[in-house]
Amino acid sequence: MLGIDDPQIWLAYVLCLLSAVGCVIYGALKWNDGEEEEEC
Amino acid sequence: MAVSTPVLGVVVLVYMMIIFYLAWLGYKKTQQTEDYMVGGRKMNPYILAVSYGATFISTSAIVGFGGAAGALGMGLLWLAFMTIFVGVFLAFVVFGKRTRRIGLKLGAVTFPELLGRRYQSRFIQGFSGALIGFFMPLYAGIVLIGGARFVETTLNINYDVAVLILTVIVAAYVITGGIIAVMYTDALQGALMFLGMALLLTLTYIKLGGVVEAHQALTNMAYLVPESLRAGGHLGWTAMPEFGSPIWWNLVSTLILGVGIGVLAQPQLAVRFMTVKDDKALNRAVLIGGPFILMMTGVAFTVGALSNVYFFDKLGVISVVAAGGNTDLIIPQYINSAMPDIFVVLFMLTLLAAAMSTLSAQFHTMGTAIGHDFYREFLKKGELGQTINITRMSIAFTILVSVVLAYILPVSIIATATAVFFGLCAASFLPMYTGALFWKRMTRKGAIASMLVGAFSSLFWLIFVHAKEASALGISRALFGVDTILTGTWTVVDPIIVATPLAFLTAIVVSLMTKPDSQEHIDRCFGISTATD
Repeated sequence: MLGIDDPQIWLAYVLCLLSAVGCVIYGALKWNDGEEEEEC
Repeated sequence: MAVSTPVLGVVVLVYMMIIFYLAWLGYKKTQQTEDYMVGGRKMNPYILAVSYGATFISTSAIVGFGGAAGALGMGLLWLAFMTIFVGVFLAFVVFGKRTRRIGLKLGAVTFPELLGRRYQSRFIQGFSGALIGFFMPLYAGIVLIGGARFVETTLNINYDVAVLILTVIVAAYVITGGIIAVMYTDALQGALMFLGMALLLTLTYIKLGGVVEAHQALTNMAYLVPESLRAGGHLGWTAMPEFGSPIWWNLVSTLILGVGIGVLAQPQLAVRFMTVKDDKALNRAVLIGGPFILMMTGVAFTVGALSNVYFFDKLGVISVVAAGGNTDLIIPQYINSAMPDIFVVLFMLTLLAAAMSTLSAQFHTMGTAIGHDFYREFLKKGELGQTINITRMSIAFTILVSVVLAYILPVSIIATATAVFFGLCAASFLPMYTGALFWKRMTRKGAIASMLVGAFSSLFWLIFVHAKEASALGISRALFGVDTILTGTWTVVDPIIVATPLAFLTAIVVSLMTKPDSQEHIDRCFGISTATD
């Protein structure tokens, strides 16, 4: 896959991309969550 | 080098002017200690995300680890994955939110202070500060090496001069403008880094005929692995090394786990969670941080490995040979010979930015660790005393040590020395930091014991067992007449694998054996809001 024979390597390559996309989705879904209601 | 010096000179000058403008803004906004230390706790999420990423990713990650990927191959992509998943996602979502909240409740302005106040121990704060002040210059020294190496090969400027100029400029804005200046300049530097790395990846794939074609060409080169590396377990640049071989242990235990886990307990990164107002800022920062780190580590390691294809096509040799055996020179050599001139200028700036953004955070953290945590809180029991002068002097002193180290450290050291520092931080700080945030039953004695066990077992392993450092240091040989006191596979297992679990175990056992901290204090740390977490 992707010109790489060893699954241990292409898996890492794909996981890098997926985890970055995951961060984008998380940030987008929680864009307005967690606003500080009361100031300590 | 074909790029004309005047063009480069003008570009660098414009860059420096913008940096000084941002530093001046930071200086103007800094009025109280809290501004100098944690930016008044109201930083913008974009600035947080990019500052965190630009601090985490130094020339060391790009030049040192990119070079390591040139030698060891794409197995380093596991580290890229760790830097995104652990270094951004877990760090912000799991550790960051609690760090921010507890830091605010306890009024902590540095990482050691957060730990010290959570466990009501000036010793923890002082010892952590001293550990940072003592060992972080090693990390700062190699960041300097990474930046200066590129300046050296690109501009033909004397290496020693480059190191000094870089140091003086960064020190000037850190000392005057504190963390606001550091983070504002980081944001610009991060944007430059993103652009530079995106272009580097694109141009590399274009040059090598496409994504799959480039990878395939690298896969086909497996037969070129030199005999010495093959004997160590190297199976090609698109394959993991042989399981359990010395190269496998180096890759997995030192580079991937050492840095991938160590990132969670980096004082200069953790303090950034305390610079924002609310969890919303941390959520938003994840969106920017993930792709940012992907473009840094993912690109550096992929391009580092693929440089073998380029050098083999052009010179008939693999990257390590093209770089004269010094892996730290692989990336600079590749950029200079494979990329168009205009890109060399941009990449010069990228690396300058990467070096400056990490150095500024290191100088800030080292200075406050000694001046605030060690001197003021530990030695003077909270009195102000000479804190400001001591902080300035300690910034100057630790910078001096970093510069000296940049001159005397051996070649191909960048990736290893980074991993040593990250590993030491993981073993010393991670158990008590995790406990501070998530385990109310963790006691002061448990924290102190785990910190001491983590720090000393990590150092012991480095000096007496882990062959790479133990034989270079020679202390084991002087005392016991042997390079390492254990033999076989143990000598390639990184300290982090041994010391961090040991420190976690110590934290748990000692905490359970000692009296819990007062409920009043725990309530103060965690407050009512934790009930809804």
